[in-house]
Amino acid sequence: MVRHPGPPVTGGVAVLRRLVRWCLAPLPEPPTALRRGPMRAGVFRSRLRSARLTSQLGVALGVVFGSCFVTGLLSHLIQHPPGWFWWPAQPVGLYRFTQGLHVATGLASVPLLGAKLWSVYPHLFSWPPARSVAHAAERAGTGLLVGAALFLLVSGVLNVARWYAPMPFFFTAGHYWAAWLSVGGLLVHIGVHLPAVRAALARPTSESRPDGLNRRTLLGGVAAASGLITLTTVGQTFRPLTGVAVLAPRRPDVGPQGLPVNRTADGAGVRAAALDPAYRLLVVGPGRSVSLDLAALNRLPQYTAELPIACVEGWSATGTWTGVRLGDLVALVGADPRRSSALVESLQVGGRYRACTVPPEHVGDPLSLVALRLGGEPLHLDHGYPARLIAPNRPGVLQTKWISRITVPGSP
Amino acid sequence: MAYAVVGAGTDADLASGGALLFLAAVLVGHDVVWMAAVLTVGAALTRLPLRYGPPVRAAAIVAAAVTVVGLPLALGFGRPADNPSVLPLPYGRNLVAVLLAVAGAALLSCLLRWRRAVAGRKKSERLSEGRPVVPGR
Repeated sequence: MVRHPGPPVTGGVAVLRRLVRWCLAPLPEPPTALRRGPMRAGVFRSRLRSARLTSQLGVALGVVFGSCFVTGLLSHLIQHPPGWFWWPAQPVGLYRFTQGLHVATGLASVPLLGAKLWSVYPHLFSWPPARSVAHAAERAGTGLLVGAALFLLVSGVLNVARWYAPMPFFFTAGHYWAAWLSVGGLLVHIGVHLPAVRAALARPTSESRPDGLNRRTLLGGVAAASGLITLTTVGQTFRPLTGVAVLAPRRPDVGPQGLPVNRTADGAGVRAAALDPAYRLLVVGPGRSVSLDLAALNRLPQYTAELPIACVEGWSATGTWTGVRLGDLVALVGADPRRSSALVESLQVGGRYRACTVPPEHVGDPLSLVALRLGGEPLHLDHGYPARLIAPNRPGVLQTKWISRITVPGSP
Repeated sequence: MAYAVVGAGTDADLASGGALLFLAAVLVGHDVVWMAAVLTVGAALTRLPLRYGPPVRAAAIVAAAVTVVGLPLALGFGRPADNPSVLPLPYGRNLVAVLLAVAGAALLSCLLRWRRAVAGRKKSERLSEGRPVVPGR
């Protein structure tokens, strides 16, 4: 009887082994005559580049990008909630914090990414360009990661500057998918380079250089750049720093009635409809419907709430809103506010954000208002006159302005 | 990564060709144009006297990063005519002021290094003048 020396090799495993061998087999080196320009040896001479510097920048960038990804994904889920997702109405300012953090960390990561890419730039011209098929795939993955990271930061900077012409796509969708691409690429990158990173960080280094320009000076410069960018922009959401926010795309106190505006009535094409004396708010419920003009809305019990407008672009500002509780309107048409969602629609005839769904935890919250006043005065037209939604812990794009209809689905 | 590629390809909201073009443009723009400029400036800064290198290079890093963030604001192409609450500040002037402050901090650091160097030189000269000369040493 013949005994096999190892475990039996099935057909699938054999194919897999052959595939792995093929991927790792050395590729023939290209002719040396092609090794020109930046691919020549010794072209990049800076002694500042090191595995330790790259590793330290990579760790910092991983933390910052991780924070950006989590907060950005959260914002996406709030705006496009799948069935399993739940987002509370309290604490009131949670979204304000997470989205402010998203934009602030994104802007602060600009110098980090720049320094990281500078530290590994010579690898772009490494020779031979591909040692094996696996090496070529790893390099292609790194290229995608770099492209996605640059995509995220450049599109993010252009978005907060509201400059959309250089982006031939819908920013939100492009930014979202680039985030998934970068996080996938990042995980692969970490998997491939983790041993090298750990070794580089564990290795003791000698820092003495005759010109005093060392890794710590460079890291200090990058940290100072991140700090200065944060200092000059974060005041758009963090009021104590508003005074020094000289590069903030928004000021929380600049706008009609002391609050910024994202979309004006003219921009939304609702001026005539919003100022029409025949305006009515239609509330449609499972049991009945009511049509309320502005006087009727003002006769209902009025409540006041201090709530922020927290924009997806990272700015936020608090206003004193007065109006009718959304829950009261829902109850008016025979539904239970704590168990009902509500579809809130604008006078806008089109646009991505002309309507939003308010989930039960927000409908039943006493701070959720159909606001008629801001700071004691009737709403400015650009803030949603005659009536707008303002609810706690929601993105500004879901605080529908110029409300024309509220629909409460469900059976009576 | 596959999820991102499939998702982007099937998202009706996204013009995937435009997104791909933008991805290629930022990659090429960074690796060819931006890096060429950075390496040229970096090479020019190596000509500075050694003691001034660190503050000037740190200032150059800060200035480059702040410019990347501030330039789209300063250009103001995203400012809508009907909404004065968008980009409400004089960003061009503010960006120049921030860059001048960075340059000022670098200059101050260079001055301090120069003064330290001068003081160190004078001290060593005084020490060498006051040192007794021992014959045979």
